[in-house]
Amino acid sequence: MGQDMLSTLLSAPNVETWAFYLLTTLSICLAIGVLVDRVVIRSGFILIGVFGTISGIFLLLSAQFLALAQIMIYAVGITLMVVIALMLTNPRLEREQLIVYNDDSLPPLAKLFASCKRNLNLWVAVLSFVTLYAALIGENHWPLSDQAVSQDAVQTLGEALVTNYSIPFEFASVLLLAALMGAIMLAKGEPKHKVEDGDLTIVDETKKQENNLALQR
Amino acid sequence: MENVVGTVKAPQSSITLAIAYSVIAAAVVGIYAGILFTPPGIEKIVTHHLDFWFCVGLALAGWVLRSVGGHKGVIVTMTVLASFVILTLNQPMLLRYLTFAALLFSMGLYGMVQSRNAVRVLLSIELMLNAVNINLIAFSRYVDPISLKGQLFVIFVLTVAAAEAAVGLAVVLAIYRSTQSVDMDKFTLLKH
Repeated sequence: MGQDMLSTLLSAPNVETWAFYLLTTLSICLAIGVLVDRVVIRSGFILIGVFGTISGIFLLLSAQFLALAQIMIYAVGITLMVVIALMLTNPRLEREQLIVYNDDSLPPLAKLFASCKRNLNLWVAVLSFVTLYAALIGENHWPLSDQAVSQDAVQTLGEALVTNYSIPFEFASVLLLAALMGAIMLAKGEPKHKVEDGDLTIVDETKKQENNLALQR
Repeated sequence: MENVVGTVKAPQSSITLAIAYSVIAAAVVGIYAGILFTPPGIEKIVTHHLDFWFCVGLALAGWVLRSVGGHKGVIVTMTVLASFVILTLNQPMLLRYLTFAALLFSMGLYGMVQSRNAVRVLLSIELMLNAVNINLIAFSRYVDPISLKGQLFVIFVLTVAAAEAAVGLAVVLAIYRSTQSVDMDKFTLLKH
């Protein structure tokens, strides 16, 4: 029933385009927020928003089951785990200090060169996007089908999972089991040589302070 | 890294310039859409590669306003958004989704390489996996809407992502226990 309402809504002219641009605008802004926010725990929470908008995009693509799975697994499960790990590793959760580059003394061309060199990662990312985009628009032979997604998508998925794809399914479950057991083993291991007398050495103190002001970008 | 001074206050960035840039970007997108939707528009854009030149012009304007002192975050966000709209507006729906996924993937790549906090690296990897999921679902919607193999593979990607997040965070915790730090530059255990 809900699927019918969704498909009738999406078949109205331009609704899909407007919804697409609305969701992607939100999603891109939030993703930039995840990357540049100086408080890591805040960027963890912003990530929930990114996953929410992406699940909206899944709805646009009429994948209702996966939209809900996305909210359950990513927006709740994985983000919760990330936030808990942050609480365990970075106890102060302070705002990070900005790194300021002091190249006023350089001549302009050297300043430009230094800026390019510093932002090398950005150029690599832009280049990868340009490559992907060129590959996408260069290929125009997608065998597009103009049918709508079948009404019983969940049934199709379930049948495929237990018939044609049953072996990958079993392997995935074994992988999940092994990974979670490994994660528990890694996370619960106590440090071997704990400081007996309770107070930290000077080295440990400085390390801790350094971490609390941890530089991160 | 010899020119890094950690404690100096950041130079004041002007939000007015950033707002001006946002208005410029919106105007550019409007002009582009105007060209696109007038009768001979698509041919003009395709033959002269106008979308590419609009994006380059926007990036240059943003760079100029940034070096005058505009707010960096707003300028970068507006450039990315406007370029995304310009690059996708004359494409079919499938290519729009694929371009969005490529953009998200590149942003995740940037975050993964750039950030020094190990947890943020994991967040960026989650972004990249999501971009892959969007690709798979877009293909299953537009190419294979009956047997839905793309959606099937998304289920496997979700599984692997959950496992990856659990193991990654456990590794971060274990490293934090031994080094009291989550700074990627300090994880040099294998170097010595």
